[in-house]
Amino acid sequence: MRIRLLPVWLLVALALGASLIVALPGASYAYQDREHTLTGASLQHPAGTDELGRDRLVRVSAALLLSLAGALAASALTTAAAAAIGALAAFAPRGVAWLVMLVCDAFLALPWLFLLMMVRSALPLQASPAHSAAITFLVLAALGWPACARAVYSGGLGLKRSDWIMQARASGLRGAQLIRQVLPNLRPLLLPQFLVCVPAFVIAEANLGALGLGIGEPLPSWGGMLLELDNSALLFRTQWVYFPVALLILVLLLLEAIPVEA
Amino acid sequence: MRRGRVLAGFLLAILTAMAAKYCLAQAAMRLPGELAWNIGYDPKTFDPAKVDDIDSETVRYLTGGVLLRFNRLTQKVEPQLAESWNVSPDGKTITFRLRAGLKFSDGSALTSRDAAWSIQRVLLLGDSAPVSAEFVAPDGVHVDAPDARTVIVHLPQRVVEIGKVFDEIAIEPAGRLSEGRVTSGPFYVANYLRSQYVRLRRNPYYELRDADGSVLPRASGVLLDIVENPEEQIRLFLRGDSDVIDRLSPEYYEMLRQRNPGTVRDLGPSLNTEQMWFNQSPASPLPAWEKAWFRNQAFRVAVSQAIHRDDIARVVYLGHATPAYSFISPANTAWYNRNLAPPRTDVAAARAGLLRAGFRLQGAQLVDADGHPVRFSILTNAGNDERLKMATLIQQDLSAVGMQVNVVTLDFPALIERLMHTQDYEACLLGLENVDADPNEMMNIWLSSSPNHQWSPSEKTPATAWEAEIDKEMNLQATSRSDAVRKAAVDRVQQIVADEEPFIYLVYPNVLVAVSTRLEGAQPAVLEPELWWNVEDLHLRGTR
Repeated sequence: MRIRLLPVWLLVALALGASLIVALPGASYAYQDREHTLTGASLQHPAGTDELGRDRLVRVSAALLLSLAGALAASALTTAAAAAIGALAAFAPRGVAWLVMLVCDAFLALPWLFLLMMVRSALPLQASPAHSAAITFLVLAALGWPACARAVYSGGLGLKRSDWIMQARASGLRGAQLIRQVLPNLRPLLLPQFLVCVPAFVIAEANLGALGLGIGEPLPSWGGMLLELDNSALLFRTQWVYFPVALLILVLLLLEAIPVEA
Repeated sequence: MRRGRVLAGFLLAILTAMAAKYCLAQAAMRLPGELAWNIGYDPKTFDPAKVDDIDSETVRYLTGGVLLRFNRLTQKVEPQLAESWNVSPDGKTITFRLRAGLKFSDGSALTSRDAAWSIQRVLLLGDSAPVSAEFVAPDGVHVDAPDARTVIVHLPQRVVEIGKVFDEIAIEPAGRLSEGRVTSGPFYVANYLRSQYVRLRRNPYYELRDADGSVLPRASGVLLDIVENPEEQIRLFLRGDSDVIDRLSPEYYEMLRQRNPGTVRDLGPSLNTEQMWFNQSPASPLPAWEKAWFRNQAFRVAVSQAIHRDDIARVVYLGHATPAYSFISPANTAWYNRNLAPPRTDVAAARAGLLRAGFRLQGAQLVDADGHPVRFSILTNAGNDERLKMATLIQQDLSAVGMQVNVVTLDFPALIERLMHTQDYEACLLGLENVDADPNEMMNIWLSSSPNHQWSPSEKTPATAWEAEIDKEMNLQATSRSDAVRKAAVDRVQQIVADEEPFIYLVYPNVLVAVSTRLEGAQPAVLEPELWWNVEDLHLRGTR
């Protein structure tokens, strides 16, 4: 095991640990033990309970899994979309490229927070909490691609002007054949983009949740748990309210520490 | 290039200094004998006639002299600038006799001409003076001042509790608008710094005296710091820089109770309610079977019976709320129906009621007679921690009878759009703030034709017999001259609402306040303004 990959292994270990906790018999992220609200650590609740008496350890574990899975999926989606759009723009006629980049710029200029709020309010109310989680990450993916697509576009332009592509064109490669040759060469660009997006989506979901507009109750989310920190009166009652934010910071640090050239 | 960098550095330094000044802005100096507390935002107006927000209302209450004062503790109307007043038997003529020798804060004389002018101004302003609506037909009101100390108000029709309306009309100097600088109340506006504070000074010509003849108000002034953040409000209070806090949240109440026992008071249930309701509007885009559930009384009663209100009060409000079954709070002693027999929490009865109404359990899921699974969403406003928690508790309570509930939070504009315009929602959980104890204030909620008749707005004719009866009883209480008839009508409406549950009342949040141990004369009341309704008597013991 190479030491450089330590963050990856630690993340995998965290995710496995969290899965184990969530899968334990009797573990429920939603069950409200109304006689024991906002308690500290105990044998029954190793990380205490939240304000509604729900087990904090199970909720944090579930939030960790949900947010990692969601952010990875959203990041994969956004990177794929960016690769397709960026490559298309780089190799298309100049007019098309200009139009695509204009759309990119327009997307980047959108006040995305308000857009997210609008999208959220237009959703059908019957969407279950699981759906709301899926939609939240989908929306994040839909908003995340333009910056990445710009990077792919510039990389693609560089490739287009490179000698070997000239040679390939001169020897008669066209369209799809050409793209097939180009895509593997964009990999060094796409992997870092993918890795940059994951923590960005984790934190975006946490921010949305803290505004009350992310994943629906009773599904746990970082944002919902961070809301407790808003209130110094709660901090006064138990130190365990810091647990979710501590873990979130750890996860973000590990995500940022993944070597991009791995 | 170099010059550009120097300039940029200079600009950065200035910006940093400005930011630091803003962040480190200290509370304004307190003057000797001056009271201090917080308001959340800048008052929108200092014109007492145009007040429409709570912070402007605070300034009006502290500065405006009124003919009659509604005593928040005894809930009775008392003469203030008026020495005496009477209402004619038909309720259409009100005669005030002013105290002798009244003066404004600048020393000029206050006569009946000023009082008549102030009342007329409110009437003429129409919609921009919210209090004018309380005259019901403000256009037909005439005000006379036959002599220097007599004011006569002629109404086109009788208005219930007319005395209280004059508690909201500040008497200003005729023809001289001063934005609170010249007043007839205990204080006047001395200084206002936007986003920082409003400073009020004692009106030296205030005529009212204490029972022992001492000068009122007893404090030399009031400093209203504009502090939006509740954390900051608590910090100021703990530091001794503010004397009272109203509207404490239960969490902060508990924190203060542990840190400074003796400063916090739980005054018991407020007049406000938190409630949920189902969308019964025929115009809503909901599927027909859902409309049928929501219009089914047995369904609504079962939901009500399945909700553990005690848990809501204990878990969400840390015990500082009272389970609610009616729109009138027990704190409203004059109007609360003590004989109310509402369906109480009883999960077994809820299950039995649902079975009788044709619902049945399929595994753990409740389905209706046609096999549609009972699933719905409860909507509430994002950012309100208590409502989100209540909805989450209800989610678990209702899962015990097989209902699957989604909790959805939306920002307020989006929520209102659904409630008032598209009517695209299933159930909603919100609160209602009642400033006034008289149920007449709630006409707009109970009349079936009203757009604020939330469960089914703007009905052309009452959709059900019980809604027709509510209309009849509410109209009766609005027009009857007999207090006993009015009380009986309102009692009946409370019983109908408890039986039919168009609103499922959850809790009355308690009134939680903090009062500094240095402050003397405080008599916190449940009605707003809870802490400074008797501001004339408030004063500090010793120095700050």
